[in-house]
Amino acid sequence: MTSTPDHEQNAYRQGAPTPTPRPLERWFPRDPTTVGDDPDYRFTLANERTFLAWVRTALALSAGGLLALTVLDDVRGEEFLGIALLAISFLTAATAYRRWALNERAMRLNTPLPSSRLPLLMAIGVAVVSLVAALIAALN
Amino acid sequence: MRPDTVFDPMLQHERTALAWERTAIASMVSGTLLARRAADLHVSLAALGLLQVVLGAALLIWTGLRYEQLHAPLRRGESPAHPDAVRIIGLTTVGFCGAATVIAIASAMT
Repeated sequence: MTSTPDHEQNAYRQGAPTPTPRPLERWFPRDPTTVGDDPDYRFTLANERTFLAWVRTALALSAGGLLALTVLDDVRGEEFLGIALLAISFLTAATAYRRWALNERAMRLNTPLPSSRLPLLMAIGVAVVSLVAALIAALN
Repeated sequence: MRPDTVFDPMLQHERTALAWERTAIASMVSGTLLARRAADLHVSLAALGLLQVVLGAALLIWTGLRYEQLHAPLRRGESPAHPDAVRIIGLTTVGFCGAATVIAIASAMT
């Protein structure tokens, strides 16, 4: 038993720099593999799969948006549906690398994984889009 | 002869390779739809979607090669992290999703 939490000891041992406030690094963090120790390879691969799952979610949303614009061409309100799905896909893709880098960094420094509001935002966003789609279907 | 220990319990390596392949295929699907939609705005813009399809195919090949190459490092206990691959895929996905959004807004305004 030690009085300092694990992650503080690790941060001290590694001389880990605190995350910088520069805007670019907020969305595009530096290479996380330069700090800490290699974790169990299964954790690294699980993090990689999670990143890929977010990328696929972004691609599926963009495919849905593009399909809405192409297939529902003569339906009123299809522009809103398509653009909303594409905007959500852009936001999802834009946060994917950041999530991967912060998770990898936390695993290498043995600190808790960072929490994210993205799953909640995604659920709300898709729910709103579904409601709008139902409304469009009812009105046409 | 059977090896002493099971290599890669729970098939993490294979599952990760399959996740890469699904991502590459999803990128090709999305690229096809982008080409179709962009062509309505201007024919030459379809090249953007076709580029995404070609990059998706390249990723599919690369990920198969990487699966083979990673066996030895994994057996030696080295980290399989590949920050450059993650960066490239992350950035290109942002680019194509952003381009699709811009094209959708542009065609809604015309």
